[in-house]
Amino acid sequence: MAWVLRRIGASLLLVWVVVTVVFMAIHLVPGDPAELLLSQGGSAPDPAAVAALRGQLGLDRPLLAQYGSDLVGLLHGDLGLSLQDQSPVAADIAQRLPRTIELLCAASILALGFGVPLGTLAGIAPGGMLDRAGAAVSALLLSVPVFVVGTLLVLVFAEQLGWADAGGFVPIDRSLAGHFAHLAMPALTIALGLGAMLYRITRAAVLDVALRDYVRTARAKGVAPRRILWRHVLRNALSPVVTVFGLQFGALIGGTVLVEYVFNYPGLSGLLVDAVNARDYPLVQGIVLVISVLFVAINLTLDLLYAALDPRVRGR
Amino acid sequence: MRRLLMPGGMILLILAAALAAPVLPLPAPLAMDIMHRLAPPSVAHWLGTDEFGRDELSRLIWGARASLAVAGGSTAIAAAIGTSLGVIGGYLRGLPAFLAIRAMDVVLCFPPLLLAVLIVTLVGPGIVTLIVALSILFLPGFTRLAYAGVLQTRNLDYVEAQRVLGAGRARIMLRTILPNIAGPILVQASLTAAAAVVLEAGLSFLGLGVVPPTPSWGLMVRSAREVMGQAPLLLLWPCLALSLTILALNLLCDRLRDALDPQTAPRRRRRTMAAARPLAGAAATDGDATLLAVDGLTVEIATPRGPIRPVRDVSFSLGAGETLAIVGESGSGKSVTGLALLGLLPGAARVSHGAAVYAGTTDLLRCQEASLRALRGSHLAMVFQDPMSALNPVHRVGDQIAEAILAHARLDAKAVRARVVALLRRVGIPAPVARARAFPHEMSGGMRQRAMIAMAIAAGPRLLIADEPTTALDVTIEAQVLDLLAALQRSEGLGMIFITHSLPVVARIADRVAVMYAGEVLEQGPVAEIFARPLHPYTRALLDSMVPEGDGAEAGLPAGIAGNVPSLLDLPPGCSFAPRCALRRPACETLRLPLNEVAPGRFSRCPYGREIAAMAAPIPAARA
Amino acid sequence: MRLVRRSFLAGAAAGAALPFLSIPGRAAAKPGTLVFGLSSYPPSLLPWVQAGTAAGTVNLCVHRGLTSYAPDGTLRGELAEKFDHDDKNGWTFHLRKAVFHDGSPVTSADVKWTLEQVAAAGSTAYMAPQFRGVAAIETPDAATVRIVMKEPTATLPLWLAQYEMPIVAHGTGIAGKPAIGCGPFTIAAQDHGVSVTLKAFPHFYRPGLPKLETLRMVAYADETARVAALRTGDVDIIEYVPWNAMAAIEANPKLALQTTNGPFMYLTFNGSFKPFADARVRRAIALGVKREDIVKAVFFGRGSPLGGMPIPPGTPFYDAKLANGWTYDPTEAKKLLAEAGYAQGFSCTLLATAQYSMHMQTAVLVQQNLAALGIQVQLALPDWATRVALGNRGQYQFAVGGTSADSNDPDGLSAIIDSSLAPSVARSYDLPVPKIAALFAQGRAEFDPAKRRAIYDQLQRVLLAEAPMVSLAWRSQGYGLSRKVSGFYDMPGALTFFSGTTLEQTSIA
Repeated sequence: MAWVLRRIGASLLLVWVVVTVVFMAIHLVPGDPAELLLSQGGSAPDPAAVAALRGQLGLDRPLLAQYGSDLVGLLHGDLGLSLQDQSPVAADIAQRLPRTIELLCAASILALGFGVPLGTLAGIAPGGMLDRAGAAVSALLLSVPVFVVGTLLVLVFAEQLGWADAGGFVPIDRSLAGHFAHLAMPALTIALGLGAMLYRITRAAVLDVALRDYVRTARAKGVAPRRILWRHVLRNALSPVVTVFGLQFGALIGGTVLVEYVFNYPGLSGLLVDAVNARDYPLVQGIVLVISVLFVAINLTLDLLYAALDPRVRGR
Repeated sequence: MRRLLMPGGMILLILAAALAAPVLPLPAPLAMDIMHRLAPPSVAHWLGTDEFGRDELSRLIWGARASLAVAGGSTAIAAAIGTSLGVIGGYLRGLPAFLAIRAMDVVLCFPPLLLAVLIVTLVGPGIVTLIVALSILFLPGFTRLAYAGVLQTRNLDYVEAQRVLGAGRARIMLRTILPNIAGPILVQASLTAAAAVVLEAGLSFLGLGVVPPTPSWGLMVRSAREVMGQAPLLLLWPCLALSLTILALNLLCDRLRDALDPQTAPRRRRRTMAAARPLAGAAATDGDATLLAVDGLTVEIATPRGPIRPVRDVSFSLGAGETLAIVGESGSGKSVTGLALLGLLPGAARVSHGAAVYAGTTDLLRCQEASLRALRGSHLAMVFQDPMSALNPVHRVGDQIAEAILAHARLDAKAVRARVVALLRRVGIPAPVARARAFPHEMSGGMRQRAMIAMAIAAGPRLLIADEPTTALDVTIEAQVLDLLAALQRSEGLGMIFITHSLPVVARIADRVAVMYAGEVLEQGPVAEIFARPLHPYTRALLDSMVPEGDGAEAGLPAGIAGNVPSLLDLPPGCSFAPRCALRRPACETLRLPLNEVAPGRFSRCPYGREIAAMAAPIPAARA
Repeated sequence: MRLVRRSFLAGAAAGAALPFLSIPGRAAAKPGTLVFGLSSYPPSLLPWVQAGTAAGTVNLCVHRGLTSYAPDGTLRGELAEKFDHDDKNGWTFHLRKAVFHDGSPVTSADVKWTLEQVAAAGSTAYMAPQFRGVAAIETPDAATVRIVMKEPTATLPLWLAQYEMPIVAHGTGIAGKPAIGCGPFTIAAQDHGVSVTLKAFPHFYRPGLPKLETLRMVAYADETARVAALRTGDVDIIEYVPWNAMAAIEANPKLALQTTNGPFMYLTFNGSFKPFADARVRRAIALGVKREDIVKAVFFGRGSPLGGMPIPPGTPFYDAKLANGWTYDPTEAKKLLAEAGYAQGFSCTLLATAQYSMHMQTAVLVQQNLAALGIQVQLALPDWATRVALGNRGQYQFAVGGTSADSNDPDGLSAIIDSSLAPSVARSYDLPVPKIAALFAQGRAEFDPAKRRAIYDQLQRVLLAEAPMVSLAWRSQGYGLSRKVSGFYDMPGALTFFSGTTLEQTSIA
């Protein structure tokens, strides 16, 4: 338990450092949110109006004062208000985050669905047809950047064949079919790369575990092959697969910018890029905070999951 | 190394094309021709022209420069700084390590693209900015790798020795530690280069990377995307170039990893677990008392340099209630013999000859996998050498024993639990109810081996193969486990094949012994007789090299025999022991003799048995 | 402005539940419901702030001003039924019977309140500088307002027609009091970052309007997705049709395309960078750019070359000759450079942004063209925010800009052309041309159309000679419509961004 508490403490410290670094970076970056808001469409804002808006937004205070009040707000669970339309940052994030999570979940289901079973099959029959084909295909999938996959999918399925929409997002309450139709292509784009990675990890883990002595022991006991595969091989091969999957999932929460961009999917990464572009300081900080908290939380969960999967870790 | 050629060649080719771009007969990559914008491929423009009428092929080749400059630059910087940080942190530890590793955690916590976006926005886009941004992004990978590598290396003997010899810290780090972690760093570098190409393209695609009009693949994808409807091919070329480059780098990384770590090299082999085995040699059927009759067992492993036979023409028989020890040095084929009988040979190995008739009816070597599986556990069981690795670490010991029971019987959970506890009690494990719920790592070595034995006898086998069951244990525990096995064997009337390299253990437990050397049985017979009067020079040499009794674990190692065990790839044509044999005659080097019954119950491959028996003094070492 | 502060947890919980709640009965194709594809989610819906096209379009549905533009681009009374000026710098507006969304009548007090807020110290209003020229606001009765200017101001009705000048109910539109307007629609719901849903205001003063019951404004920031949404029928109208998609929309029998040459691309200069302080160098650049190439390569031929003051063709002050005073003439350009002492050319940096392709690509073309004159151009392509900051602070040598005038009246161009005004991203930096400032002031004070025409003719000539900015190309601004939509018009020229006005008369089959 002390170990868990220490990990949580270290994680909180890490999050604080990240938030501080982001605060400094985003304020250092040239560009002024007030000026930007009043220069939309390349129009010429009145300098007095810009100064007035800066005052209203509290941007004329010393940097340290702004940092202090932001931090106090965070400690009270208040992420502040967007500089653009004064909407609560928390609400903005709460609206986008579930969409990102949904996209990632859909992608994960697809990726796990083909990566793990195929990786297992390749791992128990190394050198076979599937293994050789899988090595080539997974190398290829890992080599094509997501925005290339996404763009090509749009080119083929939306532009040329007209089967699917080029992108966008349909709320689930407006059209269930439309919702999933718009989810399919971005999810597939992420899933191809993620699945290829899971395929490789699973294959390597299964290959490794299949050669372990305890698998031989199980065979010596006369245990049926299917049971050996599930109970002995997969059960032990799970740890590396779960680790890689968790880390990838964590990285993807803030890392789907290109997919969201290509498919015009309103997720968290896109909001972050928009916020950076608009120099919406509270929004940037809020999103980075949420992403890093999730990242850290996933890492923590992975450690705990690791302990659940491998009793040897539990004692430590 | 040959496998590195293909990806290496691809990368060199791309590199060469990029470097040679200025001298290649290409149209200028910036020359516009608005009239002929978005032209399809033609003789003048092999890949067509882009939205400004610029030659696509030329831009593609020039674009490689941006990608490679960014990939090379950022990888080199990240590798240099990251590795230094890791090495210094790992070697000095304390505060430097804390700072280095924590700083990397902060970097890792950022979504990579956000970090890049922030840096690029801060500094302004451009190739130099990209290199800086990506270097920072890639630092943690190298730092962590180097840190871990150094932690592993720094306490190794030779590093310790360097320190004792007074080498300076910097010198130790540079000269000793660095070369040792170079391999993984190299792999990481090729992986990083691939990631850099992806990120460069991604950032340029978002307009945060290379500044136009400098050609870059990411920029080309971006602008092609806008004219996707008019000229879809324009999208294809930069995508292809990108993907091929990354593919080459990824392949290089894979192959490099394989080359550096042979363990992960793809094993191309066929498993013949369930295949019916081709058999030569007739199965011998002995009398009713015979539990197992092995005749001419030969195991073959296909290797790139031709097949090798780690077990050749092995024959022995075993009665119920009898213990046969198979003794030999490592690599003599004794364990393979045991595995072959249970059909548990590793993938590359297969039985090529012989028969092993169990209970007078079933030839184990010809059994289908399914019927063999039915026999395993319930008729034939095996106790392995290292219980720590032979037990599954993630399942409770009791469950693993229960699995052995349930593989052959349908019982309800309660009955199974009762049997598990009874079995554990039977093998002398105290508090068996609690122990059944323990995980293997929670038990001591001796306890684990007892559990292993409980598992082996769980389904009531008649033949137990114990493969060096006490090697991993210390002497006191070894004695206890041997006593346990002997007791079990007596009470259950088990036939036991006891595989060991230790002659004192043989003396202690076995009725009969088969001495194996380089895949063959050289001598076989009752233990007492063989110990008293060996009929093969090898057995004799083994017995002679036994340290006088009571001298612990070293005992039994045939350290006294000059020469080495012959390679299975290059066996002597005659007697396999001939090259090391002090008594060899010219005929020994050409003539290969079968295992002959030289006296009642005594078998030997050496025709000079009587002479050996007559010798009182130890045989002098052979003159090499 | 920081007033509503919800706790993070409460906000998160409420927001997290939203996407999974099923709210039935919001089918897209309900009769009387039109879906409008915005090019971005309005960053702000404050009434008097210039916050971009998307915000303008939404505000044009919710608010109305004293004056407005008719679909054909002519100025008309809006809340003011009649208006006229007197000889004492005064303008009198007679209000029609209208009610705000809260039910209260629109009175002269509300107009006074609005104008005072706009001109107040600390106001963030776009038109604040103009309305600081108001000397007095008289409200003789509830239906009459007299605005007295410090100077004679012919352009006051134009200023009042700006969509940044809506009349709001007294006491609203300031911190903590959301503006209450009197436009044809009211905001019913906002899905932040995604859509704004508007409902018809039943007491709108124009009988029978609006024709639509519901107007859903959905943001499609990505242009490809926006076009796809129109094609698949997800939306009925899109703004900002990308130029590469215009041909396909025209060819599609189910769709219609309306375009106008409204916005334009141009170059601004920093006068503190020595070569650009010389008008001959600026003129050389004006003559050295192939405008046709920009139209063709950047805008897919959708637009037209622009070589003079950006007055839209077909408006009273347009003069074809003056509007194309700069044409591609490399020989003359080289001659001018040589006269200025730059026969060998010089090196400089062109600021644009990578965030918007049209800016980036225009910069690439300008760079290529100027290379032929010996001017070595480096491109600086930061993100838009940085580009704006650098532009406002004059931290550049010359820059690509893209915008549109406030109106089709030449006075609407003063913020872009008159570089003697305060530094701004929209105009050249440190490059005052007093003659131009003087002519704009004259034009503003002159009520006689013929005399105004003469003033602006003069201004155009000065512009061609001095080149404080160099215009490059009109770009076609288009709306894509489903054929089911009627009554919506892309208003001409600079007024294209006022097209949201016509949503009041738009209907859907």
